[in-house]
Amino acid sequence: MKHKLAISIVSAVLFLLIGIITVSAQGSDKAILSAPTSTPAAAADRVVTTTVKSTAKAKVDTCYDCHAELLDKHPKVAADWKDSVHGAAGVSCADCHGGDPTLDQMKTSMSAAAGFIGVPDRTKTPEICGACHSNVERMRQYNLPTDQYSKYKDSVHGAKLAEGVTQVAICSDCHGSHAIKKASDPTADVYPLNVPALCSRCHSDAKMMEPFNIPTNQFDVYKSSVHGEALLGKQDVRAPNCASCHGSHDAKPPTSAEVVNVCGKCHTATQNYYEQSLHSQLKEAAPKCWTCHGNHDVTKPDENMFTHTASTEPVCTTCHDIQTLDLIVDKAKFANPDDRRCDTCHHQDSWIYEQVLSLKSAMTVADLAYKQGDVMIAEAIGRGMIMNDAESRLAEARTSLISARAAIHTTKLTEVTKLTDKADASAKEAQQMASDKLGENLFRREAMFVAMGVIITNIGILAVVRRRLYKELE
Amino acid sequence: MDRTNPEKPSGLFNGIVDWMDERFQVRTLVQSALHVKIPRKAKTFYLGGITMFLFMVQVVTGSLLALYYQPTPDRAYDSVMFIMSNVNFGWLIRSIHSWGANLMIVSVVLHLLRVFFQGVYKRPRELTWVAGMFLLIVTLVFGFTGYLLPWDQRAYWATTVGTEIAGAMPFVGEFALNFLRSGPDITASTLSRFFGMHTLWLPMTLAAMLLVHLVLFHQQGIADPTKPVSRAKPDASATPEPEGKLLPFFPHYLLSEAIAWYVILGILIILASLWPVGLEAKANALQTPAHVKPEWYFLFLYQLLKFVPRVAGVLAPIVAIPLLVLLPFFDRNPELKPRKRLFAVIIGLLTVAGIIGLTIWGQFS
Repeated sequence: MKHKLAISIVSAVLFLLIGIITVSAQGSDKAILSAPTSTPAAAADRVVTTTVKSTAKAKVDTCYDCHAELLDKHPKVAADWKDSVHGAAGVSCADCHGGDPTLDQMKTSMSAAAGFIGVPDRTKTPEICGACHSNVERMRQYNLPTDQYSKYKDSVHGAKLAEGVTQVAICSDCHGSHAIKKASDPTADVYPLNVPALCSRCHSDAKMMEPFNIPTNQFDVYKSSVHGEALLGKQDVRAPNCASCHGSHDAKPPTSAEVVNVCGKCHTATQNYYEQSLHSQLKEAAPKCWTCHGNHDVTKPDENMFTHTASTEPVCTTCHDIQTLDLIVDKAKFANPDDRRCDTCHHQDSWIYEQVLSLKSAMTVADLAYKQGDVMIAEAIGRGMIMNDAESRLAEARTSLISARAAIHTTKLTEVTKLTDKADASAKEAQQMASDKLGENLFRREAMFVAMGVIITNIGILAVVRRRLYKELE
Repeated sequence: MDRTNPEKPSGLFNGIVDWMDERFQVRTLVQSALHVKIPRKAKTFYLGGITMFLFMVQVVTGSLLALYYQPTPDRAYDSVMFIMSNVNFGWLIRSIHSWGANLMIVSVVLHLLRVFFQGVYKRPRELTWVAGMFLLIVTLVFGFTGYLLPWDQRAYWATTVGTEIAGAMPFVGEFALNFLRSGPDITASTLSRFFGMHTLWLPMTLAAMLLVHLVLFHQQGIADPTKPVSRAKPDASATPEPEGKLLPFFPHYLLSEAIAWYVILGILIILASLWPVGLEAKANALQTPAHVKPEWYFLFLYQLLKFVPRVAGVLAPIVAIPLLVLLPFFDRNPELKPRKRLFAVIIGLLTVAGIIGLTIWGQFS
């Protein structure tokens, strides 16, 4: 009786086990095919119970289903992916990590046989991303370019990676790995306002940059530059960030020969003026944008940029090769912003220095007239005067002044004075208008005192009459 | 009311008056209008008269502005600019009109507060109070409609948020908004409607209401805030005041009123000369300024709407205004001294403090 009972219990347990195995294996036809079928006990040993609730017929992503419920960082990774552009576009985990997301068994879905590669090797990541992002057919619907991978291969980052140096930026370093956002998303690291901070994560790290012998102060210098203040201070997305000059996927420092074109992307008129100058004809020896304005530390230009405040001793090697006497530009001489002056090359004994002084004088006179006009208009507005006409005239002066500043790049005095004279004339007209209004305001105040005098006299007379009347009444 | 006989004038003036008197009995009219006596203890602070003086200033300056102002979106801004820049003393006329509007609202509110805290709105002056309340409302609407006319950014957007307040009213909000704007948006029709209201409807309404207010005021005389009027013994049957406690309305009281008017005129000239009213950029429906606020006298309501449910914020004045208009009929306490009508005084003080607090908060938020 006892044996019968034991056999019945063992049979029931085995039946139950077989039932469980069968039901759990029915989640995937492939799993059934690939599952070992030697013995029920052996099968039970290989099967990992999962929380997957999907069936083979439905569109399933078992990677997400499992990882969303695991401990540690997995749920965040799953959530990041789901909220990302890839999650929205249906790019699955398996598209980057390999494996088979339709299988509900970890050992099979994440097996080498299923193509699972785990965390992609850094040297392979650009290629993996490029597999889709270089595909015109796939990217057309998103209106995305497809040249990022080829550009990247040509960048400093890509070239170093090809050499096997893994300590360089790859796609995921800038775009993230799972929480990838559109570049137009203000919260994305690659959004224009966030790019300087993104680049500085590596480029301000002295330890990371040490092998490459690259300075690490660019971000700090950029922050206080006119570009940095516009981008980071005023949040003006039109201002250049690192990628505007260096490129993004094709990141590389512009060469001295390229820099005029790089700056000219935004400063179009200035580039046109520069190309009319003798400077531009000097080719390699030509002073470029950086010579006078610096690179990361570009400041707002003013009339102090023409000459040093104190007299300077000319140094021949600044502009001449000491051996051949050929014209050169010694970059080191322009490292200090205080030395980025015309007289660093055109020393005080040179005939060009006179022209420099004339340019400076024309600009200073026009600038002063503009500033005086601005102060007078502000004073008149502060006194409640309507100054629309004067403001329009001053705006014309400002336009001419800005054009004159750009025309300095021609180095032609006649070109510049044509514009500074115009600016000066407009500013003086604005000054005259402001002066007239201030005069009118003075008249108003004087007239007010006269009117008040009359009113106070009348009040005084009435007060006297009133007192008499009240006395009579008493 | 005590009436005195005026001395008979002589000369040409006398001749003209005689001629008029024969036909229209002007002497009797003037005598009944001016030669009355008022209680010496009456403390009016001349606020009613000042408000009327400011209304007259508004009529004169507004009529002058209307000679040049062109009420279309294309021309309104430029015509105001022309007034400010090219018309002789145009800046002064417009500045006085603008400051006068603000001072008129201040004085009409102070007048209301004076009457409220002295308790002199009570029997038998209920209807004078009601007429005064309508004058206050008309004055506010005057300010509201006039604010849009320069058609600059401040005018446009202050009117936008101001009409939005009306639009938030339950049930009739949409109608009110469409009625005020003459359509769903602020357009040429709105400007035309506001100009018409500001220069035709409201002056006529205000003049009519003012006439009613003055006739009622004249018939009952100035109230004595120290002497409650018994319900059993209304004013008409009250014992006449002894002569020593009365003051001739003309010339004694009117002389003081004239001095007050001169002071206000001086203040207007100083304000207009030192702080002439400006003009922002031309109205642009596509460019919303960073901080849009209604005129300062609607700021408390605007601020209230920010932190109470919209419907409650709009309903508050809808309930409060009729209550205030009909106050003499609710407040049956005949006492005038503040300590004998503590409830009303405390409610009044709290309301004033609340309105001032909300206005300051709204200004700096």
